[in-house]
Amino acid sequence: MLRTARLADPRQSPARLGTVGGVRAALGATALLIGGALALAPAPATAQEPERDSIPTDVRVGILYQPVYRPGIVMPVIAAPPEFTELADSVRTVILRDLDYGDRLEVMSVGDDVPLEGPVNYGLWDQLGAVWLLLGAIEGPADAATLRLSLHDVVYRLLQDVRAFELPPLQHPAFRMAVHSAADQVVRWATSSTGIAATRIAYVDRSPGGLEVFVVDNDGFGLRRLSNDSSIAYSPAWSPSGDRIAYMSYKSDDPAIYELAINPGTSSLLVDLPGMDLTPTYSPDGTLLAFAATVEGRTEVYTYNLAERCCARRLTYARFANSLSPTFSPDGKRFAFNSDRLGQLHVFVQSTQDGSAELITRYIYDQSVHNAAPDWSPTGDRIAFHGWVEGVPQIFTVAPDGRGLRQLTQEGRNEDPSWAPDGRHIVFASTRGGTAGLWVLDVVSGRVRRLVRSAEARLPDWSGRLDSTSLVGVRAAAGPNRDNP
Amino acid sequence: MVINFRREVSWLSAIALTLVVAGCARAPAPEPEPPPEPEPQVQPRDEAAERAAREAEEQRRREEEELRRLETERRRVLSVIGERVHFDFDKSDIRPDAEEVLQRKVSVLREYPGIRLRIEGHCDERGSNEYNLALGQRRAESVRRYLMSYGIDAGRFTTISYGEERPLMDAHNEEAWAQNRRAEFPVTDHGRIGAGE
Repeated sequence: MLRTARLADPRQSPARLGTVGGVRAALGATALLIGGALALAPAPATAQEPERDSIPTDVRVGILYQPVYRPGIVMPVIAAPPEFTELADSVRTVILRDLDYGDRLEVMSVGDDVPLEGPVNYGLWDQLGAVWLLLGAIEGPADAATLRLSLHDVVYRLLQDVRAFELPPLQHPAFRMAVHSAADQVVRWATSSTGIAATRIAYVDRSPGGLEVFVVDNDGFGLRRLSNDSSIAYSPAWSPSGDRIAYMSYKSDDPAIYELAINPGTSSLLVDLPGMDLTPTYSPDGTLLAFAATVEGRTEVYTYNLAERCCARRLTYARFANSLSPTFSPDGKRFAFNSDRLGQLHVFVQSTQDGSAELITRYIYDQSVHNAAPDWSPTGDRIAFHGWVEGVPQIFTVAPDGRGLRQLTQEGRNEDPSWAPDGRHIVFASTRGGTAGLWVLDVVSGRVRRLVRSAEARLPDWSGRLDSTSLVGVRAAAGPNRDNP
Repeated sequence: MVINFRREVSWLSAIALTLVVAGCARAPAPEPEPPPEPEPQVQPRDEAAERAAREAEEQRRREEEELRRLETERRRVLSVIGERVHFDFDKSDIRPDAEEVLQRKVSVLREYPGIRLRIEGHCDERGSNEYNLALGQRRAESVRRYLMSYGIDAGRFTTISYGEERPLMDAHNEEAWAQNRRAEFPVTDHGRIGAGE
């Protein structure tokens, strides 16, 4: 599987813009660019992507996003025997939405008049402007259906990849996640980086009993309440394995860190130092939990050894100041955190081994600076946080060395960013559009979409890629048909 | 007090019963004895009963008065203890107006060493959710240290922060924010406020 070879593939480079599809996309990108330059022209953007319920007119105004080329992908109706028609429709709907939300491919619609029988007519698809053709077929006995996906390279006129995926029945709780995994595989075949459809977002929201932990699939489906504490739940954080969520709760008198199992949603005490324990996060290898705890009236960052269930170790030392909200670099050797030690709230980066902390957000003398809620990208290159712009929180990213500060949002209050595993999408709480909720932003293109509509949904945390095998015990077939062309 | 009152009642009813029994015993022999004889016997008893009743009434009144006084004192103590202190934005130091409030608490806490408190730190909604937890904790701690610096035993306080989760005013303006940046003082042990301890 020489995936790295793909990076040198001409289709990934601007040279690809020479093809029919590329020209179309390039024109589209130019239109976007002009739309951005005009700064107050939301209409063209809306017209361009009518399937979106919301278009980021706000973020394009005054904030620079690169115009991006997205290769076109087309997926005709899935071939299936009559008993699988409904299943096939659902599968296609889910996959198309996943491809769209992934923001790497441009989903193109197919007219009903396009003939699907016979050998693949590459010339036809090329003329339509597609770069990729995704063909699906559902086969097998009714209780053990298989989804066979084959991705064709329309430009080079060859089969890129093919694989069969086990498909749980339509009503099975694992159905959607299995299809998401298949969609992520398609994105990987086409772009050499796996999609983010098979992921979930944990967050807190108001419930009759108080604030509880909720989870929702990346596409906004499968929303459910996970905790049942009738108390205050805060700061949910996914374990790297995706089967547990650490969070802070007030359910006993002394606020502490608890852990929720996803199936079933049972909660157990994880860490309880004297005083308040808050803002948990797992290390990328899952061996440590970093968190903040009150010591002598202030908060400091600690780690706790999850494997041995012991040994709280203090990482920060700042008398008369608070240090909290730790977030690990992907290699686990450094962590970013939030501290008011300079009299303003800032983001710092520190090695987990030695204690010197480096300021990475800008100190502005005599101003109300409030940079909070850091989240280190899973790809390592950026740290997202929210900072005040005229007293209103907005999402920013910055390199771990403090260079390349970039503002990503502008409309409404935008808070508590969390990276998707692709290091390209961010989920955050926002009041944009008049009603509060959780939103997803593609930091490359600037596209946004609403994930959850709820006045008090906040503190989102994006999971890693969820292997459906570990979650519900349904195997997404390790394909026997996994043959490369 | 209640028990005392019951005792009075049972004593009075004992006297009444005696009188009734005495009356019954006399009934079968109506003729020879002149009537004034039993009078002096009954008279002192009545006087005693009346005196007892008066005393009981007096006692009850005194106790009620004492209760009222204690209740007033209790209310005073609780209102002094319960008075909130407020903070400046993103600050946890004690303002001069807060200091007056805390001084009143110091004298009450000295007067009643049995009282124990939970000091709750609260924030306005503007800072980040998570940072506000830490800020609220510092506010609670700052109050605790102030009280300790006047010799009040540290063991009498616990602290907790609710960040921005328990606002006093559910509005999004300066006035609401100023009200919401505060410390509250729920009493966890009343000690014996009425008994002067």
